[in-house]
This record gives sequence, C-alpha cells and structure tokens, in this order.
Amino acid sequence: MAHIPDGVISWPVLAGGIVTTLAGCAYGLKKLDPVAIPRTAVLSATFFVAALVHFPVGPTSVHLMLNGLIGIVLGWVAVPAILVGLLLQALLFGFGGIIVLGVNTFNLAVPALLCHGLFQLSRRSQHPKIIIATAGACGFLGVGLTAVLVATSLALSGKEFASAAQLVVFAHLPIMLIETVFTAAAIALLLRVKPEALETDQGQELHLDHVQEDEQGKAYV
Amino acid sequence: MSEHKYLTPLHALSALFITACLVAAPLFTATPAKAHKLKTFATAIGAKVSGYAYFVPGGRAQNARVTITREDGSQAATLQTNEQGEFDFTADQRSRLTIHIDAGDGHEASTIIAAVDLPPTLPSANAQNAAAPVVIPTPPMESAANITPDLQQQIETALARQLRPLREQMDAWQEQIWLHDILGGLGYIIGLAGLAYALTSAKGRKTSSNIKQTKS
Repeated sequence: MAHIPDGVISWPVLAGGIVTTLAGCAYGLKKLDPVAIPRTAVLSATFFVAALVHFPVGPTSVHLMLNGLIGIVLGWVAVPAILVGLLLQALLFGFGGIIVLGVNTFNLAVPALLCHGLFQLSRRSQHPKIIIATAGACGFLGVGLTAVLVATSLALSGKEFASAAQLVVFAHLPIMLIETVFTAAAIALLLRVKPEALETDQGQELHLDHVQEDEQGKAYV
Repeated sequence: MSEHKYLTPLHALSALFITACLVAAPLFTATPAKAHKLKTFATAIGAKVSGYAYFVPGGRAQNARVTITREDGSQAATLQTNEQGEFDFTADQRSRLTIHIDAGDGHEASTIIAAVDLPPTLPSANAQNAAAPVVIPTPPMESAANITPDLQQQIETALARQLRPLREQMDAWQEQIWLHDILGGLGYIIGLAGLAYALTSAKGRKTSSNIKQTKS
C-alpha cells in the first residue's frame, strides 16, 4: 500500500512529495549524530526487510511497515532512513515507483514524526506502563495515518477518496493490530535493556558536549 | 562515563536478532516472499484475448476496472474482472493492445498484446504495413504449398495455447525476490552507514584541529 507505483499520482502531488521529502531529509541528515548512525542503519535495514513480511487479507495481502517504531527511535532521522529503505525496495524488489518516491516517503515519514512527538510527550509521565501503551498506540497510528495519507494522495490525483480510503484503511486493520503489539514489545524491551537508546535530541546534545570536552582535553595533553 | 551512550554489543545483538527474524520469517510462510503489488497477465489465442489480474503475493483482483486501448489510442473496451480476477475480450482489429488494470486502491498494472500475436485475418489498423509480413513466409518453402491459411491458423492457435503456461511461469519468476536482492540491499545500508561515519568524522577532525589552533 505504501508502495504506490509510477503513473498513478498526478504531477502537482508528485512535486509536493519530492520537495517536502528533500527538505525533511536534509533536516534529518543535519540532525544525524555519529552516535546514532548504527541505530539508524539497523532501523533502515529493518524497514527495508519488513516489507517482505506479509499477511494475507482477503484477495490481497498486507506487509509490516514499522514506521511508528522507526519514528519513535529516530525522530527526524527517520526521514532519510525511510527514504533509503524505500529507494532500495524500489530498485531491488520493484516495489513502488521511482518518481513517486517523494510521495511514498512523505506518507510514511509524517506519521513517523507524529509518533515521535507523541512518544516524547508520554515519556514525561515517567510511568513505564503509559510509555509502553503509547508505543503500542504509535504502532497503530503509524500504519493508520499512512493509510489515510495514501488515500489522500490518491484523492488529490483525482481518484475517488471514499472507496480508496475504505479499501486502504480496512485492509490494514490487521497490520495495525500486529504493529501495535510489535512496537509495544520492541519499546518495552528497549526500555528494560537500553533506555538510553530512546533518548534522541537531548541525549545527543549531552553526548556531543562530552566529545568536545574529550577533544579539548586531548588538545591540552 | 559516556560509554552508555554508545551501542552496546547486547543492544546490537538484539537488533540484529530482530532483523534476522524478519529476514527468516518470509522464508517460512507458505506463500513466496513478495510484497503487495498488482500484476496482470494476458495472452491472445486466436482473436480471443484472455487474462487475469493478481496481487503479489495474494489472490486474484476481483472487480477491477480493465481498459483496453488500441495502438492509435482509441479505446477498444472497458471491462471488469470477474470473481476469479479474469477478463476476456475478442479483438476486432490487428493492432497492438494495451491492457490497463485499476484495482481502485492505488494499485494499477498494465500489459501489452503485440499486433503479431493476433490472427492476420483480422482487419489491420494500418492495412498496407500489416499486409506485407503475412504474404512473405508462404512462397519459398516447397512443403508450404500444403499449408493452407486455415491450417496455419490452427497451428498458431495450438502453439499459443501451449506457450501460455510457459509465459505465465516467466511472469511469476519476474516477481520472485531472491536472497541476493535482500543481502545486496542490506549491504548498501551498511555501506551508507560507513559513508556517514566517514563524513561526520572528517567534519569532527576539522573542528578538533580548529580547537587545537585556538588553544595554542
């Protein structure tokens, strides 16, 4: 579903997708801290492979998207991570088009960013149960919002919104439930094993300060 | 102090484990490992063009809109796929046909039936061009005298029927995702991560040398 092929979306929507994706990608890369690179690569690889895990729904099938999880952990860096995953899927598997890559990235990355914001809000509560429940909700919302955005981009290209939205959203209810459980479980594991991995901006800034201190120290020696 | 900010081996291992599970999962599912996409397959046996639309992976696309256009852009037919996702159509002109399928949820696919796959007995879209290749094969062969146009038509129809399963198999093979595709993609991501490291560390070295200069 998130892999719209070329030739379906109209030119104004395509251009909008390309511009917003490039801007988001540039901002994400600017925010990319060296410490976060392995984390970004692992999640990008997970996203790349997740599309191969599919579940039959009626005559068609749906696949994992994991954009909620990627958004929670990566924040703005999720935009380049998703773009790289989608580009490789298009080139190697033939999923989705190339010109439409901007729109496809937009449809997956915007819910990811919203999930990031929501999750950061929930972290203020300091209650593990609330945080994990929010992570589950992010898994659900990530897919759900993507489905709505896909239907919107089809509607903006002159397709019937109602039928497209109905088809896309209903077909993805099972995957939304699966991702709810998956994301909640993944975040619960991270919180227990490595809670620092979930600290994005603040943690990185702290760490950067630390590195500079080290380098200054070296310069003195 | 800052050690906890780095990826520990435990964290890396758990992430790798999740990735490995995701790679392995499709290998154990009953259906072959493919993602959601619409495809269509069609062949012409005589003047009858028949085909079907299907999702990879998944079943046939039911009630999808089928639009058949001729080479000159005129519309030959608009149909709907049946419960089995099939459609058929009888060509009335010897012209290249473009079959376009729209499942309505953003999945579209198209395929082409070449003019040479349609019987030469049909009126051609551009008569003088198409008439030539039909006449040429008959005169040179001695035995060809025995082959009446009717027999030739029968042979061609039988051949088209025989070739259809082969074409279907080739079509399905095209959608196969190979392990080397998956590994190649993962390799690219690791390479990009390395590149990102190289670029950020080059930037870091520059700033640290600036610091040195200002301190000394």
